[in-house]
Amino acid sequence: MKINRILIANRGEIAIRIMKTASRMKIETVAVRTSVEPDAMYLSSADKIYDNTEAESEIPVFLDIEKLIGIALETECNAVHPGYGFLAENAYFAQKCTDNKIIFIGPSPDALYKMGNKTIARRIALSGNIPMAMGSEGNIGNEEEAVTIAGKIGYPVIIKAASGGGGRGMRIVRKAEEMEKLFIIASKEAEKAFNDPSVFIEKYIENPKHIEFQILGDSRGNIIHLGERECSIQRKHQKLLEEAPSCALNEELRDEMGRTAVQMAKAVNYESAGTVEFLLDSDKNFYFMEMNTRIQVEHPVTEIITGIDLIEQQIRIANGEAIKFRQEDIKLNGWAIECRINAEDVQSGFAPDPGKIESLSLPSGPNIRIDTGIKAGSVIAANFDSMIAKLIISGNSRKDAVKNCKMALDKVWIKGTKTTLPFFRMLMRHPKFLNGDFTTTFIEKDLDQFFYNSEYEEMLAAWLATKLFIEENLEDNSINVDFENGKEMSPWLLNKRINQF
Amino acid sequence: MTNEKISIKKLYALSSENRRFCFSLPLKQTIRIGKRNYEVRLKNDEKFGTYILWKNRKYPVEIVRSRQNKYEILFNDIGYTFTIETPFSLQRMKVLGSKKGKVEKEMVKAPMPGKIIDVLVREGSNVLRGEPLVILEAMKMQNELQSPVNGQVLKVSAKSNSNVMKDDVLVEIKVE
Repeated sequence: MKINRILIANRGEIAIRIMKTASRMKIETVAVRTSVEPDAMYLSSADKIYDNTEAESEIPVFLDIEKLIGIALETECNAVHPGYGFLAENAYFAQKCTDNKIIFIGPSPDALYKMGNKTIARRIALSGNIPMAMGSEGNIGNEEEAVTIAGKIGYPVIIKAASGGGGRGMRIVRKAEEMEKLFIIASKEAEKAFNDPSVFIEKYIENPKHIEFQILGDSRGNIIHLGERECSIQRKHQKLLEEAPSCALNEELRDEMGRTAVQMAKAVNYESAGTVEFLLDSDKNFYFMEMNTRIQVEHPVTEIITGIDLIEQQIRIANGEAIKFRQEDIKLNGWAIECRINAEDVQSGFAPDPGKIESLSLPSGPNIRIDTGIKAGSVIAANFDSMIAKLIISGNSRKDAVKNCKMALDKVWIKGTKTTLPFFRMLMRHPKFLNGDFTTTFIEKDLDQFFYNSEYEEMLAAWLATKLFIEENLEDNSINVDFENGKEMSPWLLNKRINQF
Repeated sequence: MTNEKISIKKLYALSSENRRFCFSLPLKQTIRIGKRNYEVRLKNDEKFGTYILWKNRKYPVEIVRSRQNKYEILFNDIGYTFTIETPFSLQRMKVLGSKKGKVEKEMVKAPMPGKIIDVLVREGSNVLRGEPLVILEAMKMQNELQSPVNGQVLKVSAKSNSNVMKDDVLVEIKVE
């Protein structure tokens, strides 16, 4: 069976991204129209639209397994692409597709299940001698046991109170000689604070970087990696900026981590595109975190430096084709950076700022790729995520890419909601970011301001406020405003007024 | 009520961080920096909407909110809040400010529509500035709403598992 029509079980930019490649491969696509966003941009990329606006269901259609299978059968799709999020890593959905003779474009239900279960994933890593951020199996009885276990895990380790929280009863131990003393202190502190002296030990990874490897595997057992992505710029585990390659890796470390990632994928006979995530400490030790069994939001940076279309590979692999290149054919060229432009207010701690996009102008050029599912008039609804667009910038070197990114950021115009643009403008000027000197705690620890404004911007804003005030209130150089009990006016009416100047 | 019918020679834009910008009237289309005057223009076109042209660069601008003499402006994607004062109202504000002292009651409102996941305080709880009050889930993210002041909780209107609209009052705090 060869894939000839794909049901896109997703929305937004990733739906468009998948349909773009499918169309180039002369494969038809079906998209689902929902009542939440019946005029969404992704619908115009589909060959066929399944109208689900009348459906009365508690759960969104993209999470409704029975419904999606039904739509696929009704529209005669012989494959489903789940995108990311929603059902992308749901083993039951993948199994249901197979049961109904529909190709699930992704890994096998077995691989989805094994990697989705953290305990099983850890066991696989453990049996393959893959380094992990280990912990003691349970509570530690006494200081001798603590020394033995910490020796196995490797220093530094952190002692944590079993009933604890908020940092109390926690001690970082860097050397075996310190263990006995600190164990007793931590245990006593735990007893005092929580009425329970039990503590356990975990590996302590100091200021780690988040480094992940892109994996491709086919049904013939070929598995290769396409290099790494650096995703340390994140907030509460939400990635904001990703780049490829990472300036923290050299050829040797890349080979070693890449081999480890491939080993991990081989353990579950991984098929399709996937990602193995690691933490990398300042001494360049790396630890397996988890495997993501889907196409990822940040996949474009890998596509740019390898020249490989990952969606195309997913489709070909799902079709039973073998991967056409070997590990030694993979060459990383240049540098790519992805900025996630989200509807968030960086001045209020990245709080979501849903709303209607009043106008939108995105730059284009040889170094610029934009993946978006939003157009002027679209609504960033509170039901879905806050992404507006991914700005993907390339350059010959990191320096070059940063320079291009800085220029492109000034050409993005979005009106209607606040966005993460001021954050990226700040980042492109931050010495630590420019030097590659940042870890996953960068946003929490290294920043005192989350945005950038040039010297005169506030003054110009003040000038504008004054101008508006004069237009509204001042006649004949005299003032007609009640400073305490004024009127309220719709911002859009106001915008219309200032347009008349 | 205090309508003013006097001739004024300048206006002040006071930022929320208490920075003061003074503009003389009639308002000029130039701003003096050091020894040079630079042109500033408010423009509008099809492609860009409303923008300010300054030193050959376009900056997008938006009016987010306007109430009385208070203006909330987005300038190059960054929000600024100004109150516009005349020399007279500024003087009066200073006098009132010194007599009145600070606000007594603080209302903590939902910054966006969403669902209350957890309420962390009770009526009568003493809270410190920055202490989490309510966990609000919106757009798949859990947001901690923190107390803006030190004080005592007067009233808790937020209920776990309930949906709230933007600007719904969730907690009222008596300021210490």
